[in-house]
Amino acid sequence: MDLIVFEDYYSTFLLSIIKMINRSIFKKIKGNIFILILLLTRLLTSNQALANEPLLVGAIPDQNPERLNRLYDLLCLELSEKIKIPVRYVPVTNYSAAVSAFRTKSLDLVWFGGLTGVQARLQTPGSKVLAQRDIDEKFRSVFVANKSSGIPIINNIYELKYLKNRRFTFGSESSTSGRLMPQYFLQQAGVQIDDFSGRRPGFSGSHDSTIALVQSGSYEAGALNEQVWNSSVSNGRADLDKIRVIWRTPKYKDYHWLAQQDLDKRYGKGFTKKLQKTLIDFNMENPRQAKILNLFGAKRFIPASNDQYKEIEIIGRQLGKIN
Amino acid sequence: MNRLFLHPTILIFLPAIALIPVSYTVIKDTHGGGVGILSSFFYAAFHPSYDNLVLNHSFYALQITVASALLGWIISLFIGFILGILSSQLFWFLLGFAKVNSNFIKGILAIPRAVHEIVWGLLLLQLFGLSPLVAILAIVIPYSCLVAKVVSDQIDNYKFDVLLASKYSGAGIFSILITVLFPSLIPLLRGYGSYRLECALRSATLLGIFGLGGIGTELQLTFQSLQFSEMWTSLWMLGLVMFSLEKLVNWVRSYPSINSRVQYQFIIFPIFFIILFLIAIFWLSFLGINLFDEFNYHPIDWPTITQILIAFKQLPVLNLILSTLLITFLAAGIAIGIPPLGLLLIPTKFGMQLQSFLWLFCRLIPVPLFALLLLVCVNPSSCLAALALGLHNIGIMGRLLKEGFIEQNKDCFQSMKNSGACFRSSLLYGILCPQTKSYLSYAAYRTDVLLRETALLGVVGGVGLGWQLQESLSSFAWAQVVIITSTYISLTLVGEYLIQIIRRYCLGEDSQISLEISY
Repeated sequence: MDLIVFEDYYSTFLLSIIKMINRSIFKKIKGNIFILILLLTRLLTSNQALANEPLLVGAIPDQNPERLNRLYDLLCLELSEKIKIPVRYVPVTNYSAAVSAFRTKSLDLVWFGGLTGVQARLQTPGSKVLAQRDIDEKFRSVFVANKSSGIPIINNIYELKYLKNRRFTFGSESSTSGRLMPQYFLQQAGVQIDDFSGRRPGFSGSHDSTIALVQSGSYEAGALNEQVWNSSVSNGRADLDKIRVIWRTPKYKDYHWLAQQDLDKRYGKGFTKKLQKTLIDFNMENPRQAKILNLFGAKRFIPASNDQYKEIEIIGRQLGKIN
Repeated sequence: MNRLFLHPTILIFLPAIALIPVSYTVIKDTHGGGVGILSSFFYAAFHPSYDNLVLNHSFYALQITVASALLGWIISLFIGFILGILSSQLFWFLLGFAKVNSNFIKGILAIPRAVHEIVWGLLLLQLFGLSPLVAILAIVIPYSCLVAKVVSDQIDNYKFDVLLASKYSGAGIFSILITVLFPSLIPLLRGYGSYRLECALRSATLLGIFGLGGIGTELQLTFQSLQFSEMWTSLWMLGLVMFSLEKLVNWVRSYPSINSRVQYQFIIFPIFFIILFLIAIFWLSFLGINLFDEFNYHPIDWPTITQILIAFKQLPVLNLILSTLLITFLAAGIAIGIPPLGLLLIPTKFGMQLQSFLWLFCRLIPVPLFALLLLVCVNPSSCLAALALGLHNIGIMGRLLKEGFIEQNKDCFQSMKNSGACFRSSLLYGILCPQTKSYLSYAAYRTDVLLRETALLGVVGGVGLGWQLQESLSSFAWAQVVIITSTYISLTLVGEYLIQIIRRYCLGEDSQISLEISY
């Protein structure tokens, strides 16, 4: 086709379309556009229309995160019934994202691990530790080893040097029980992270993966959360013919609920106290509360305070996880 | 011409050499310790969880993923096309600014592309908090720059004769763009564009970072607790969506009346995109995600020069670069080399169907999952990391090869076959050979992505830049993040420069020269 003719054809074609739109469709659509704008403004303002802005709750993805992600309705319902304010759960699936979201006040109440909680609190001055689980007061990590690796049971911390030049894996990078504390104890025994085979440890990503990988023998040893280990033994996931505990760490503080500082200002005086009391009052007799406690792997929540996590902060700084 | 050029056909198979060291190491390190886990993974494939809660939740998550992928995809295609045209040499040439070097614009666009999506996500999150709109923005920024790169490369690879003829015969620039250039971009829009939608579907990180949920989040969380049967519920759903998307695109492509006339496409595409755009927005609000939620600006302390210098001394940058490059090259070799090899080895119709399914499976399984599945049976090593990364990306390269295969003009292949050449040779020289250039350009973009995807391989042992990035981000060491991100940017820029040189010297193609002659 001759190009100029083609172009000509094209411009008339386009023009006719524009005319068509101008003439007919626009008139018809005009009314609908108003409806559309109305709908959009409704969308825009729907959140502000609520009597109270909801309390935004989050949790770091740590133990059974998929179940928590599906059953958070329970927690929201229970909390909102008790504190008389709508509660919304936000499934943030990245440790650092949870910390950042807390800093930008996009989350009001978050279930943090020891390290992430301290990171979040330092970045959000004034925020307050409300509660921890009964087990978090005296939490431990376990070092596990594949039986065929020949790594012996460790009797005191200095024997951790047996792990030198072995294939070793931590859990997630930001995990307190799967990385921070194990690394701290290893360091006390004089084992640095480049002392492992391949000059680096693995980061399996989760406590369950650590068990799977050590059990298979790909990694000769690893460290994880004691609570996950115990439940894996009881539900048969950990095969005790292949994997065993070689050492339990000393006790330290771990997971906790962290709340924003300005909750009293937003929801009325004494709100933070009320929130804390609600969490602490959860008990196993109430079926819904029992389900929630199970979800968090706890028998109950107990009061906790900021200064209990001083040790974690010092260790975090020492290992470069807190800047 | 005296220069010795590599034949494109060799070039397409060259990357497969990476298979030799990788398979040697992996076979050497294999053990039987993970049979239990592997079998439970495959068993779960046929016994996914039908629990009501799991099904409902996965379905809801799937909808969120599809709707936000659709929205992010449309916006990034739109912006990407505009940026792509703006950053092509040809556009400036047509405008009459022959001396404007579009490489500069391309270089600037390489920066947002080279920044890891996790960095984008966390940076925007730090600045604006959790907001669905910001999440979409975080998807759109790197995606549109990637589309821009592909579009501008495609335009600059275009044969200039027709354009020059039109220009010198006095046609206006926009009519040239519309009548000559636009039709040539339609196949790209169909093939590569639909592939980008699939990428948007599979990318999960950003939605998770912004707390939007989505099927990727489901996968990540069920994988974290090794709940394989629940994971397979999500995998099957996602797989089904990806499969139907592929079929849908093929159906649209085979529908003659849509494809026959340029002017139809000129109307159909914009209308189609606007409708999809509106659907996506309303769908998201129906799912309870309010895109127009207000958000505030939260300033952060940017790292100072001294902090950055200190961080630079602390980080073993050279080591990190070398180990990252090693894994990237091996993985790229596997991902690029295997699909054409597969096509040539089993060129039957059944074989191609089989490969198509296999590649879909590879794309479906996220890199960390591949890494874990391999790692329960093989001791950790860089080769294993490369294999895990490569396997997932075989799926992507396989898909792109198939796209090209379908769009390819089959005349040459037919005439070779009719003149008595054997099926494989005609396939090799009639189809694969003309595909080489575009396939290898996609391969180059993919290598770029692979460089950043090494971040997903922490399980194999803290390897390379990607792992260091995760570590620095989780320590909120922004000075280190700046250094690693700049390293990525420099690697990307250097890589692109090298690829240009390779093109010039190995394939003997040079768009620059053809333009210079015409000045």
